[in-house]
Amino acid sequence: MIEEKFSPQESLRLIQSMITKTKQDMSDNSIYFLVWGWITFIACTGQFVLKNIVNYEKHYQVWWLIMFGVAFSIYNGIKEGKKKKVRTYIGDSMKYLWIGMGISYFVLSMILTKIGWNSAVFPFFIMMYGLGTFVSGSILQFKPLVVGGIIAWALAIGAVYAGYDYQMLFGAAAILISYIIPAYMLRYRNETANK
Amino acid sequence: MIQSEKQLTEKESLALIAQMINRAKDACHDTGIAAIMWGAVIAVCALVRLSELHFGYKLPFDIYWLTFVAVIPQIYFTIKEKKERKVKTYGDAFMDYLWMGFGICIFLMIYITGTMYNEWDPVADEYRKLTGHSSSFRMYEFTSSFFLLLYGLPTFVTGVSMKFKPMLWGGLLCWVCCIITLYTSIKIDLILIAISSVFAWLIPGIIMEKDYKKAKQGLAQANV
Repeated sequence: MIEEKFSPQESLRLIQSMITKTKQDMSDNSIYFLVWGWITFIACTGQFVLKNIVNYEKHYQVWWLIMFGVAFSIYNGIKEGKKKKVRTYIGDSMKYLWIGMGISYFVLSMILTKIGWNSAVFPFFIMMYGLGTFVSGSILQFKPLVVGGIIAWALAIGAVYAGYDYQMLFGAAAILISYIIPAYMLRYRNETANK
Repeated sequence: MIQSEKQLTEKESLALIAQMINRAKDACHDTGIAAIMWGAVIAVCALVRLSELHFGYKLPFDIYWLTFVAVIPQIYFTIKEKKERKVKTYGDAFMDYLWMGFGICIFLMIYITGTMYNEWDPVADEYRKLTGHSSSFRMYEFTSSFFLLLYGLPTFVTGVSMKFKPMLWGGLLCWVCCIITLYTSIKIDLILIAISSVFAWLIPGIIMEKDYKKAKQGLAQANV
């Protein structure tokens, strides 16, 4: 399929450009991890406070916060789509994975709407957080995400044994460990690498 | 990431380019054996469970143990494929991690739904004794939905990233069936699981296997 012959210098240049592009992709991806991570973290802890401390009946309303994440993802996705000219295999894989994750979260929300949000819903979400970050971390060869994903899976098991009131805190811990902390580490590494 | 910081030698860079070219070749070189096996196993399990429910008999063992038995040939296929692979591309690595994560989540899902079912079952029994009728909420009715949700994810992502439409549509079908199962009886749920596994894995697996054999024949004729 690729008929042209590359000289060693040309191939080296091609590889260098791929590496630079991949770094940029990773930096872009960390924004999504941070935005979704913080929104979910605030929603989990917020629901815990509203339910157990304020005793507010409609504590689950705090989850409307995710609409900000949806709006941000659509806005940023359109903006990046216009800007991006070069595509990399890693960038594409990440995009397809997270489109799949987005659909999965939506379908899971439909299941849980039918079962009832007052039942033990968090172990399923935590398990899905783990899957997304484990695969992303593995393909990006970024260990904090891989470890975060594995810890999230352990927290999903732990959450099964916690009462509904405390499952929210398991959710918050999973998001902190699998999304927020690795995303900051990813940003820090990219910033120091680009200096 | 740290690995990619170093300067590559000419030899290493050429090897990397060879990998990239092989990635394009590998797209039509994937064997469909594993997909065929899992598609068939899940469909058989669902249909046997359906016949147990419909005809009122019970096998001396849980038919879903077949899925655990199927892990043995899966390990064999994986080892064999790894030996045959000359280079591991980004695509191979991505698929490996994706399906490994899926496998772990299947075990977690069995554990989570099993634990929840064991907690809920005595409560449902108590409710039946007290009120004289069954609870409207039955945990086991949602088990199919949770599994179909999981089946859809790696199938869809594999289909999109490999540009392999039968799997893409198969993944979407799993999610559609997942939503339908929320409103249907267990018997219908089992039929939908069988249909999903046939369209998501069995049929795409047969197509992949055919393409693989064709590509292999073509390479043999071209003496590549």
